[in-house]
Amino acid sequence: MALLTSDTPLSSALEQHPSLIPLVNRFGIRLGLGDRTLAAVCDEHRLDPEFMLLLMNTYLFDEYFPEQRLKSFHVSRIVDYLSKTNAYYLHYQLPNIERHLARLIAGGGENSQLALLGRFFERFKESLIAAIDYDAEVWFPYCAALSAGTVPQGSVPRPCPAPQTAADEEEDPTVGLLRDLRSIMVRHLSGEYDDNLAYAVIFAIGSIERDIRQHNRIRDRILTPLIDALCCA
Amino acid sequence: MLRVAVVLSDLLQRAGLAALLERYFAPVEVECFAAVDDALREERAFDLYFTDSAAFVTEVDFFLTHRARCVILAPQESGGGGCEAPYVVSTRGTLEEVVEQIGRLWRDDRSEDEKSSTDLSGREVEVLRLVVSGAINKEIADRLHISLNTVLTHRKNITAKLGIKTVPGLTLYALMHGYISADDMPL
Repeated sequence: MALLTSDTPLSSALEQHPSLIPLVNRFGIRLGLGDRTLAAVCDEHRLDPEFMLLLMNTYLFDEYFPEQRLKSFHVSRIVDYLSKTNAYYLHYQLPNIERHLARLIAGGGENSQLALLGRFFERFKESLIAAIDYDAEVWFPYCAALSAGTVPQGSVPRPCPAPQTAADEEEDPTVGLLRDLRSIMVRHLSGEYDDNLAYAVIFAIGSIERDIRQHNRIRDRILTPLIDALCCA
Repeated sequence: MLRVAVVLSDLLQRAGLAALLERYFAPVEVECFAAVDDALREERAFDLYFTDSAAFVTEVDFFLTHRARCVILAPQESGGGGCEAPYVVSTRGTLEEVVEQIGRLWRDDRSEDEKSSTDLSGREVEVLRLVVSGAINKEIADRLHISLNTVLTHRKNITAKLGIKTVPGLTLYALMHGYISADDMPL
């Protein structure tokens, strides 16, 4: 699997890697791309092709993480991308899982395990929404103001980038809940249920779980160090 | 999940072996090091150390001490044995042969926990009930009259057997299997 380049036809990239479709969607790029290159599509949508390319390759390759090049972008661009991914979770990925889960539960008759899965998902959703709200109301505005030079350094306490994560936890708690939900369904689900809907739920969970991991890589390894550097400047 | 250190001075060899292990032996945690000293800085020990004969000779004290967990990559033909530590994997053959050699020692190295049944023991169910009720490890130890270390071992075994790490996940499992009732523990 080769790294994408700016003259790769975007349609070829998406055909080969459909997992990139949610990523480009959040920038307003929709299907029906013809054979236009990534650079041409970015130009039409007034997006920076270099930034887009780095995001797509980072998203695609777990081992590829061009830290220095990503850090060379302005904080506002990183914050804008992370805000877009948060919005995508809220408006597309969470409702998608909910829709499939609701149908799975409704079709499961007397299987009480399915309703428990639904309650567990509600708990996950609440924790993710709380984290997104914190980003939108506290962390991202602080990052934007600091990078714009409108926060006098040292005048306010620096907020924590992810208040829900305990210092001794290696993993984002929302990712932990998703992984457990997927694992419980695969390993421990019993009774009557619709196989296809169960698969749809597991697929959708896997998709958002992977997306959040990528989101966290950029948040933790790019944005947070950039803000730390600005604080110390 | 096995935790593997790849100790090779050549960047491309490290990257190649890491990619091979992750591709054919997932789930595995692979960390790459140019020298043994870097690997030793890690707090947790590794289940396996992959290295070559040059690094083995340079750090013979370390690798001999850890020979049961040491795998030497050698460019010559496989001798056919390979059952005695330190293990030797011939890198001369085809990809299939290399993968097969690693696969053999991989199976040998899987922990007993991984091979054992996923059924919880009676004691583990007791610990599970207390964990999901919100008890901290010290309280669990006091309630069951066992040491803190034993509690930690039970918790590790529960996670390994069930594949569930979070307390909400364990609560869901306990509810699904009737170890607790929804009235006692709303999810």
